[in-house]
Amino acid sequence: MKVSYNWLKEYVKIDCGIDELAEKMTMAGIEVEAIETAKLIPDGVVVGEILERDQHPNADKLSVCKVFNGKEELQIVCGAPNCDAGKKVPLATIGTVFIDPESGKEFKIKKGKLRGEKSFGMLCSADEIGMDGDHSGLMELDTDLKAGTPLGEIFAGDTVFDVEITPNRPDWLSHWGIARDVSCLFSEAAEMPEFTAPVPTANEATENTVTVEDKELCPRYTARIIRNVKVAESPEWLKERLLSIGLRPINNVVDITNFVLHELGQPLHAFDLDLLAENRIVVRHATEKEKITLLDGAELELHDRHLVIADAEKPMCLAGVMGGLDSGVTDSTVNVLLESASFFSSNIRSTSRELGVSSDSSYRFERGIDWDMVQTASDRATAMILELAGGELVTDFIDIQGQKPCPAPVACRFEKIRKLIGVNIENGEIVDIFSRLGLEVKDVTPEQCVIVPPQYRLDVHREADLAEEVARIHGLDQVPVLPVVGKNAASIADDSYLDYEMLQNDLISLGLYQCLHYSMVNEQSALKDSRFTANDLVKIDNPLSLDLACMRPSLLGEMLDTVERNVSRKNTTMRLFEMGSVFCSNSKLFPEERIEICMVLSGKCRPERFSDELQEVFDFYDMKGMVEALLERRDIVNFTFEKASDDRFAPGQCAALIIDGKIAGHLGLLASKFTKGLRTEFPIFAAQIEAENILEGKTGNLYYESVGQYPSTTRDVAFIADNSLEHQKVIDFIASTRVKNLEKVEIFDIFYNKETLGADKKSMAYALTFRNSERTLTDKEVNGAFEKLRGKMAAQLNIELR
Amino acid sequence: MSNPIIEKIDAALIDAEQRLSAAASEAEIEQVRVDIFGRKGLFPALSKEMKNVAPEQRKDTGMAFNVAKPKFQKLLDDANDRLNAGSAEVSGEEIDLTLPGRRWKVGRKHPVTKVIDDCVAVFRRMGFIVASGPELETVYNNFDALNTPKNHPSRDPGDTFYFADGRLLRTQTSPVQIRVMESQEPPVRIVAPGRCFRRDTPDATHSMNFHQIEGLYIDENVSLSDLKSVLRSFAHEMFGASVEVRLRPHFFPFTEPSVEYDFSCIMCEGKGCPVCKNSGWLEIAGAGMVDPNVLKNVGYDPEKWSGFAFGMGVERLAMLRYRISDIRWLYENDVRFLEQF
Repeated sequence: MKVSYNWLKEYVKIDCGIDELAEKMTMAGIEVEAIETAKLIPDGVVVGEILERDQHPNADKLSVCKVFNGKEELQIVCGAPNCDAGKKVPLATIGTVFIDPESGKEFKIKKGKLRGEKSFGMLCSADEIGMDGDHSGLMELDTDLKAGTPLGEIFAGDTVFDVEITPNRPDWLSHWGIARDVSCLFSEAAEMPEFTAPVPTANEATENTVTVEDKELCPRYTARIIRNVKVAESPEWLKERLLSIGLRPINNVVDITNFVLHELGQPLHAFDLDLLAENRIVVRHATEKEKITLLDGAELELHDRHLVIADAEKPMCLAGVMGGLDSGVTDSTVNVLLESASFFSSNIRSTSRELGVSSDSSYRFERGIDWDMVQTASDRATAMILELAGGELVTDFIDIQGQKPCPAPVACRFEKIRKLIGVNIENGEIVDIFSRLGLEVKDVTPEQCVIVPPQYRLDVHREADLAEEVARIHGLDQVPVLPVVGKNAASIADDSYLDYEMLQNDLISLGLYQCLHYSMVNEQSALKDSRFTANDLVKIDNPLSLDLACMRPSLLGEMLDTVERNVSRKNTTMRLFEMGSVFCSNSKLFPEERIEICMVLSGKCRPERFSDELQEVFDFYDMKGMVEALLERRDIVNFTFEKASDDRFAPGQCAALIIDGKIAGHLGLLASKFTKGLRTEFPIFAAQIEAENILEGKTGNLYYESVGQYPSTTRDVAFIADNSLEHQKVIDFIASTRVKNLEKVEIFDIFYNKETLGADKKSMAYALTFRNSERTLTDKEVNGAFEKLRGKMAAQLNIELR
Repeated sequence: MSNPIIEKIDAALIDAEQRLSAAASEAEIEQVRVDIFGRKGLFPALSKEMKNVAPEQRKDTGMAFNVAKPKFQKLLDDANDRLNAGSAEVSGEEIDLTLPGRRWKVGRKHPVTKVIDDCVAVFRRMGFIVASGPELETVYNNFDALNTPKNHPSRDPGDTFYFADGRLLRTQTSPVQIRVMESQEPPVRIVAPGRCFRRDTPDATHSMNFHQIEGLYIDENVSLSDLKSVLRSFAHEMFGASVEVRLRPHFFPFTEPSVEYDFSCIMCEGKGCPVCKNSGWLEIAGAGMVDPNVLKNVGYDPEKWSGFAFGMGVERLAMLRYRISDIRWLYENDVRFLEQF
């Protein structure tokens, strides 16, 4: 909302500068978001009186003038055509500093000589002193002005505050309302402008003028009829007020209703009485599918839930929201019916929202208005109409009332207030704050007092509300800052984030960069993860767009988008992960919301290096190794990778991760349907793991295990096998033989050669480490065990020992 | 009186020096070492003779041993150095130290996570623990229990995402307050970071998917002063001890009194700059004393317990801290962006 400084000053004596006022308003809860200050006329520009004008002896277009600055006569050379003697014009005296509005450069007026004639200052056009107007000649001032008066005093620019008003304070939605509140911070209370309450000069019958059919939605409706008004342009001061807060003047009657709305906060509406069928008002519900065309030209279809102001035949206004096109005051209006009313706030809000129509009126009605102001505002506007547009008030005040709000008294315990704010403030000061705010204080005892809020403070109904008033006016800057007393209200074991934070740290320690994606995706992207069908998705009823219409069931869809985006930007080396919530409506898959991890690996292993190393590219075993390292960091012991077929991954390079016998996730080479067309030469690997399975995985024995001090002995075994023989099978077989003193088995070579080995064969070589924890093994012992093992392998593994 | 042991040592020193200066291989040096220190070398042999030394000479003899040992060692070391120095020069294996090292892979947290983790660490030190709740919430937890009027604009489907079953995507982390308070008795001292959702059209400063950190402290005699103190401690730990905290009156349905809190601008130290719109203050977020209605809704007696709550937008803090100009960068996941944090 825009608040004019000059306007505000009409009601309250402001003891400080503009910036300080803005600061005070902000600290009292009226947040000033921006201050727009009118361009100021520079100091040193005064009213100059031209006493004489002579032709410059050496220049046809210049004049030499004698100008009086209020103290002395100055000689000034001037090029303007209108520097005639007797005129009063702006005079920039020596030392005046102008700032060029475009370049921002300073320009100082100095003594000078023009074509041989001395000049002691400059006579100015309107635009030279930053005002609108003709720049072809000097700005001609009112000749009544005294020479020497600073121009800044005559054309004081207005300052406009852009303020944010919180929804609990509708009483701040007017200049008077703000003045009333901020006056607490100054020496004198705010005062409403004086005006004479209008007295009717005739007594027309009004029994049938207004009918209110629903007094709940319209608890108060008042009206007056003024005849024979002269609709015309508003006077300058009124136009200036409206323009200062960004409103367009229309005509005097309409301008007055707008002025009073922004002055007192009460929306008003002026009808052209002669356009109302039977010259009467009916406040009623719209009939089904009734139509109305609003002021802004919008044609709406209404329903029973909408309240309208109608005449005898049809709706004229959407009550409290906007006037109709057909009944407003125009230049041809002669007789006016002035409405000042109160409407039920939530009905206005829902109507305004539903129909997409809002206005300064609906903004106030939906927040709630001051019951008592309904009449005051009508009085004020009527008086102004009579004064500025003439006419006669021909009716009494028509006032139809339903239930008047009755603010309940609120008890205020002083000690409770002090405790809640944490400041030591005397009882008397608390009471004083309430009184200054216009809250009625009763029954003051040393322990408490009772507050009766006025009609404009219906937001005050509990002790906590009073605490806020005290804190606000006493000053939040007065609330002391003390050393924080750390206090354990719960055990760190209850900390629900710790596990996930650690898991996140572990993922980062693997060299992965963390991504964040939106929780909502489009259905297509969601279904890229083929574990889900459309029925499993959690769909948003009112998505922002179809691209964000359902909750992600998996992190894969968006991760693929990120891969694509990075590849298109030539970031082809990617080590990424995300950990976040995923959603599913099919409880057979998982219960609604859980946390998943998605990892992506692609590109060069060592992009920072050169030659052969630079050629190394991530493959399946990097992805697998990363998952293994993660599980190792988590001390998880019971896990295996099993061949899996899952159409998210390429056949043959897809594994299921099994932790404690449960499938915890999948990893592998992304299926070609995801990577086809991507402009990267590198294969892309991914892993998807359910976080819970890792967090709940069984961890290894935490106790120390003795390590032998005696040296180990190694033996190598090499053999030719079918391609189909898996490494794990070899390992498992050797373990199953339970060879004595065999500590570990490690593969150290594998190769293929069609010519020497055959097309479907491979050569494998393993290093076997033998160790005894109590003594050094002899060659004889080791050889014996080794030969026995070789024999078993040859016999049972379908291999050819080398 | 002569001392045969000392004489032998001196002789051996001269001999070793000669042999070592002539040595051309590591084997020759090793042989000298074995002759002196080896099991059958000079020193073990002389040690055995010590028992024959006259008592008055023992001290000197022992001293001679101790002095000689490092002398031999130095001769050996020098000889080794001489040999090795020569070999390095000969083989010419000097490397280009400026070539890139073989980097251990270092990952990075997302800036949003970084800010969350840093905030959480600060609050944990003040005795807060982290609580969490689901992103898919009930209307009751997100609005009703938090004293939000039935017709409050934030409930509008234009502002909040709803599901067919009437539930919603939480618009704030505040429902976690309700979940925690309903599950335990006071005192409560929690922070709750998490994702929230509002139906904002995305632009440079708005994202419909964003993160908040919520704080809640309920105990006997908790005051606005406690809130201010905690927020100032937080500001100091996150942004440095010169940062000031300012509270301004505001309005939220779930707190009364309600405030907004500002930190003095971390860019210009309060002098005024474009980031703080020349005000010297950065608006951080909202806070206040928990509304008595909220306490009643979770079954806490507002006469006995009081408390404060605060919230803050993580994206905003991250953007301030890393001077990120557009919130959408945070969700683009460009590798070159992610590498920076």
